[in-house]
Amino acid sequence: MIMQKLATKTDEDGVLEFHDVTKLYGPTKALSSFTHRFDKGRVHALMGKNGSGKSTLVKLLAGVIQPTLGTMFVNGEQRQFTSPHDSFAAGIVTVHQELSLVPELTVGENIYLGRLPQRNVGGLSFVHWKKLHAQADALLQDMGVNIKSRQAVSTLSVGQQQVVEIAKAMSFNPSILLLDEPTSALATKEVNMLFGLVRRLKEQGVTMIYITHRMSELFDIADTCTVIRDGHYIGSVEMKDADHADIVGMMFGDEAHATRPPRRAIERSNPVLQVKNISRTHAFKDISFELYPGEILGIAGLLGAGRTEVMRAIFGADPLNAGSVTLNGKDVTGYTPRQMSQAGLGYTPENRKEVGLVQMAAITDNLCMASLDAVAKGGVITRAQEKPFVDKQIKDLSIKTDDPELPVSSLSGGNQQKVVIGKWLNTKPNVMFFDEPSRGVDVHAKRQIFDIIWEGAEHGLSSIFVSTELEEVLEVADRVLVMRQGEIVTEVDPTKTNLSELYGLCMEGAKN
Amino acid sequence: MTTTTEHVERKENFAIGILRNYPMEIILGALIVFLIFMAPGFASTHNLLNVLRTVSMLGIIAFGMTAVIISGEIDLSVGAGVALAGCIVAWFAGAIGGWGGVAVGFAVAVSVGFSVGFLTGQFRRWFDVPTFITTLALFAALRGVANLITGGFPLTNFPSGFDFLGGGYLFGIPFPVYVFAFTFVAMHFIMNNTSFGRAVYAVGGNLEAARLSGINVWLVKSMTLAITGVLTAISGTLIASQIGSGTGTTATGMELDVIAAVIIGGTSLFGGKGRIWGTLIGVLFLGCISNGMTLMNVSEYWQYVVRGGIILGAVLLNQVLERVR
Repeated sequence: MIMQKLATKTDEDGVLEFHDVTKLYGPTKALSSFTHRFDKGRVHALMGKNGSGKSTLVKLLAGVIQPTLGTMFVNGEQRQFTSPHDSFAAGIVTVHQELSLVPELTVGENIYLGRLPQRNVGGLSFVHWKKLHAQADALLQDMGVNIKSRQAVSTLSVGQQQVVEIAKAMSFNPSILLLDEPTSALATKEVNMLFGLVRRLKEQGVTMIYITHRMSELFDIADTCTVIRDGHYIGSVEMKDADHADIVGMMFGDEAHATRPPRRAIERSNPVLQVKNISRTHAFKDISFELYPGEILGIAGLLGAGRTEVMRAIFGADPLNAGSVTLNGKDVTGYTPRQMSQAGLGYTPENRKEVGLVQMAAITDNLCMASLDAVAKGGVITRAQEKPFVDKQIKDLSIKTDDPELPVSSLSGGNQQKVVIGKWLNTKPNVMFFDEPSRGVDVHAKRQIFDIIWEGAEHGLSSIFVSTELEEVLEVADRVLVMRQGEIVTEVDPTKTNLSELYGLCMEGAKN
Repeated sequence: MTTTTEHVERKENFAIGILRNYPMEIILGALIVFLIFMAPGFASTHNLLNVLRTVSMLGIIAFGMTAVIISGEIDLSVGAGVALAGCIVAWFAGAIGGWGGVAVGFAVAVSVGFSVGFLTGQFRRWFDVPTFITTLALFAALRGVANLITGGFPLTNFPSGFDFLGGGYLFGIPFPVYVFAFTFVAMHFIMNNTSFGRAVYAVGGNLEAARLSGINVWLVKSMTLAITGVLTAISGTLIASQIGSGTGTTATGMELDVIAAVIIGGTSLFGGKGRIWGTLIGVLFLGCISNGMTLMNVSEYWQYVVRGGIILGAVLLNQVLERVR
């Protein structure tokens, strides 16, 4: 049915137009009067920092959410998507950042999953394997890629899997293709393969909306670049007339500098944590740095730059392949998380829901989880013994709860994050790793979390602070390391660096 | 809203709250009342003590199994473990003779139970073999070893008075009931009031979060399995004493009853959730139901069907209540 609809193509086919599209979440404007026309058969890059409204736009197009106001025209017709299926039927297909293939199945099966061609034998329906693989091979050949339908997906590289993902999207014969950071997990060679495919699809007249954080890619692949900031349409440029500085300028505007308590002079003579030439295969290599008493060291980098991996490996959650770690003057290379925690290091992981907390357990249990040995005298533990530990953190971190016996899942994101932090402060660490502590947290809670980190530093706690929001890194940290593709590329002083510069450094080394 | 309706509502909420929070306690209570009136002889002291004696053997192991399941693992080998422990004790009793032989046999059985359980946990750690598989293998192998020890014939060379452990009375109460009660108190304390017990809940609730919190997750899991192994050896010794022999075919299918009791008691097979108290209720429930049905002359085949229905019903009830909560 979808195929038939798309078979009759018109001039307006592949054109995507927004008129005053607004999306409200309560009082917050995620997208505000967005008006723009995406022309047919071109590659349109969509740029904007985190929280700019990019993903809102993608979700609107995919039919996952509906606009509060405004209209969208797809292929020249006004459209209202009430579900992803509507968007699909209108000829818009999205390739998401995360792969959604079944590794054990063949390429062909994955492409036609849920709609395998059937054949009839004696009144019974069977899968028509021959036809399936013939169709899939034809499609793959048409796209100019050297992948066979009968191959198992698990035998392909990540880049090839991304291509299969696009082939799957193309099997729906879309007029508009949304590519959400398709290269974020790919190596250079695979990126080139993907670009070849994108150019080929462009020749076939497919309109593509391309989302990426890698600035240099834009110049390779995009025809135009549209920038949004704080939910507003800022402008569009033809890539052949644009340069890095234009686009970064559009993305950040005149950035007002954030405020924070006055920085203190850090005595940089005796490091508390010393990391020497550590490496971990496929994650990071040759990382060295030092952390001093009371210092907040920021690590900036794009997603996949290796920030989390470095912290996890130092903490002993993942093994190291090379290098050494010294904590408080003691060689702690190869320690387990348990030994690390005893040695005075705490780590609040980036995804608190999955690995930071036991959601079904009480707030009390979570707060005492990392310090059971200290709370329990001789292994015996009672609520009375836990109470001072729990009350202290609830008070100090202003965790908002009526009853600490409730499961931690009853708390808001910000308060859950404070429980993760409180859990570690109960171990009385002298070094803390904060991995994305502000993710999914409201503005107020974010301020409180920063205050906790600064307050800790006042009392001599050394921290490493990581956030995808670069402005937060600049605000919170005393010193910032920049990571790119698993390596530390430079170190900057946050008082002498602005956001656009840092952003440029995190991307392909284009310092403006 | 007027005060009267509010009052009524609160009363209603209170009643619903009790229903929600103590469903199995209420159902067990109702079952006992039903059996007192409908099952001839159920309420007699002799019969009730018998029920307690029977459930004790099962319950001792079930408390350990509760910890295993809360930690996110399973042990299918306890029935075979019971047979093996009984045969080991019987063999040493025969080989060394007297109470000394029993003592040595008991010590060996407990050590074997502990080691096998602990190694099962380590196997999971080093080779990533699910405990379902390892203990399924042990389910077959341990019973084989038990039969190898006995050579296929019951070993009965126990010293006189050995039958007291499983069949005797102390102050009018069957001796195994004391062991059962002691195990309950000990496991209740361990799970609620030791850092080990807290770690068991954390490990089962979220393995990675527990690991990153500095908990030695594999030690914790292995220890729950080791504790269950020890309790299995104790129960196996009591059963050997009760039936007067070490036999390779003892306690066939017992692992299913043990797991059923834990699940009826509200422990989640997904881990992280469960109570020793709940298992006590589950054990008593299973004991009462099978005793009641026997007294009411329900055929053995029907008893199986009813037990199956109860397991499914209890899980459904817990799921529904979970959603309402």
